[in-house]
Amino acid sequence: MKIDSSLKWHVLLCIALFVSLMPIVFAISTSFKELSEAYGNVLGLIPHNPTMANYLRIFQELPLNQITLNTVIVAFAVTVFKIVTSVMAAYAFVYFNFKGKNLLYIILISTIFIPFTMTMIPNYLIISQIGLRNNIIGVILPQLSDATGIFLIRQAMRSIPLSFIEAARLEQAGIFHIMFGIVLPLAKPAVISTGIMFFINSWNEYVWPVLILKDTANYTLPLALQLFISSEGGTDFCVAMAVSVVTMIIPLGLYLIFQKYIISTFTSSGVKG
Amino acid sequence: MRVMKNKKNLITQNTMIAYMLILPALLVFAIFMFYPLFYTAYLSFFDWNMIKPLKVFVGLDNYKALFSDPLMPLVIKNTVVYILILLILNCAAPYILAFILSFVVKKGRGFYKGAFFLPSVISLVVGSILYLWILNPVSGPAAVAAEFMGINIPIWSKTQGLVIVVLSIITTWKIFGYNFIVIFGGVTGVPQEIIEAAKIDNIPLYKIFFDIVLPMSSATGVYIFIMTIVQGLQYVFTPIKVVTQGGPDNASSNVIYDIYQEGFLLYHTGYASAMSIAAMVLFVILLVIEFRYVEKGIYYEN
Repeated sequence: MKIDSSLKWHVLLCIALFVSLMPIVFAISTSFKELSEAYGNVLGLIPHNPTMANYLRIFQELPLNQITLNTVIVAFAVTVFKIVTSVMAAYAFVYFNFKGKNLLYIILISTIFIPFTMTMIPNYLIISQIGLRNNIIGVILPQLSDATGIFLIRQAMRSIPLSFIEAARLEQAGIFHIMFGIVLPLAKPAVISTGIMFFINSWNEYVWPVLILKDTANYTLPLALQLFISSEGGTDFCVAMAVSVVTMIIPLGLYLIFQKYIISTFTSSGVKG
Repeated sequence: MRVMKNKKNLITQNTMIAYMLILPALLVFAIFMFYPLFYTAYLSFFDWNMIKPLKVFVGLDNYKALFSDPLMPLVIKNTVVYILILLILNCAAPYILAFILSFVVKKGRGFYKGAFFLPSVISLVVGSILYLWILNPVSGPAAVAAEFMGINIPIWSKTQGLVIVVLSIITTWKIFGYNFIVIFGGVTGVPQEIIEAAKIDNIPLYKIFFDIVLPMSSATGVYIFIMTIVQGLQYVFTPIKVVTQGGPDNASSNVIYDIYQEGFLLYHTGYASAMSIAAMVLFVILLVIEFRYVEKGIYYEN
């Protein structure tokens, strides 16, 4: 009786899971199919004649190495800058008292709620004016103003017992010692998972690059992907799925490696504190 | 005396360090967030096309034009419908699933959380293309599977109303996982003993959910409610741009896409800015009402 009722709920959870994960399985399977099989054997997950042709084709048709490199550079630069500035700012908000602290924090955090559309026209003008349109540095810059890191890392730092810091201060430890010797090691899980999420989000960024990048050689992966679909129909879905797999493989890999850190950081990211 | 002076020095010195620590972050925010916000407000009073050297001051004309724009009622309706669908799929549904996972089944928590979150790390362009294929009315997997059951998938990309549902499904795919694990964190904050006691008293599950779990995790609930709207609006641009370009006949356009359309396709820079500001004012009002109204009944977990 007991097992029976919980089975029913597991079935419900698994249906929900099926709906959210099935598209990924389909994408991987279709990317290895020949076009005729993609339309003939739609539901079959294992291709009868697995082929690499779709992958070979996308590397021939596009400077995909360059595009992948662009994506790596953008995501890496954005991540490093945002992590460093977020750790510094969060440290100041947790361990220092200064005038206007709370107001400044609230102002910074409320920018999380502002849709990008509200700032995109002036940002476009700024980036054009300094000549960085159609340039990956121009892709990087506006992505740097993001307060989620300050929020998440501050949460983590606040959960470190203050007595640790007081003890170090009594021993006349300097700010660098306290920051690198005590606070950062203890806040490491949050810093790592925030960094991974920064990297993934920047890797996936689409709205801003699509506004300012013109040449295919400067594209990032999500933009390249868009080249393979046509809204009038006639999209070669096998090829589109191959580009999709190339685009999602790095974020998926990173997520699977750091899953534990990421889930626990976000589970506690609600309104607590 | 000496001690006090030292202390005062220490305080100002500390303040200096604190400001130095915040400065780098503040600098990029000033340039790419605060200045643009003010500049958007400034531009909303001008007639300009982004290229002309001269901006013509038109006062409130852009805002007045919002009210006479024949497209506006449709665009607002589409936005509201989209957000309503999103709230059902990304607040109500994950809340129920999180409740089941934390108090009814309990087994496999780690697995379900990890698996549900997985799509959130994948690009929305990928998501858009996956659903374009899966929901392809002629040859997609959903159509083929539905055919076995004798159901035909309508040509949603040409159907008013349905096209918004598809957009909602695509963004839901992206948002659901994050919402699920945050709600799960809130729901598990409700003390286990209370739930067990209620179960022993044979209180039905739906009552436990509505009378105990929902009110006791409402702080998380409100946060997710707001984040769903915020993220839903942030994310919806991508599937519209990739899949529908606002069509058919603007049936899938909404406030966010229309701002892009006016600003970057039609070069009505001033008008697009006015639209941004109006949307933001509406949004802030909604947030304030929401907070004022819900705040009173909130039970804070900590």
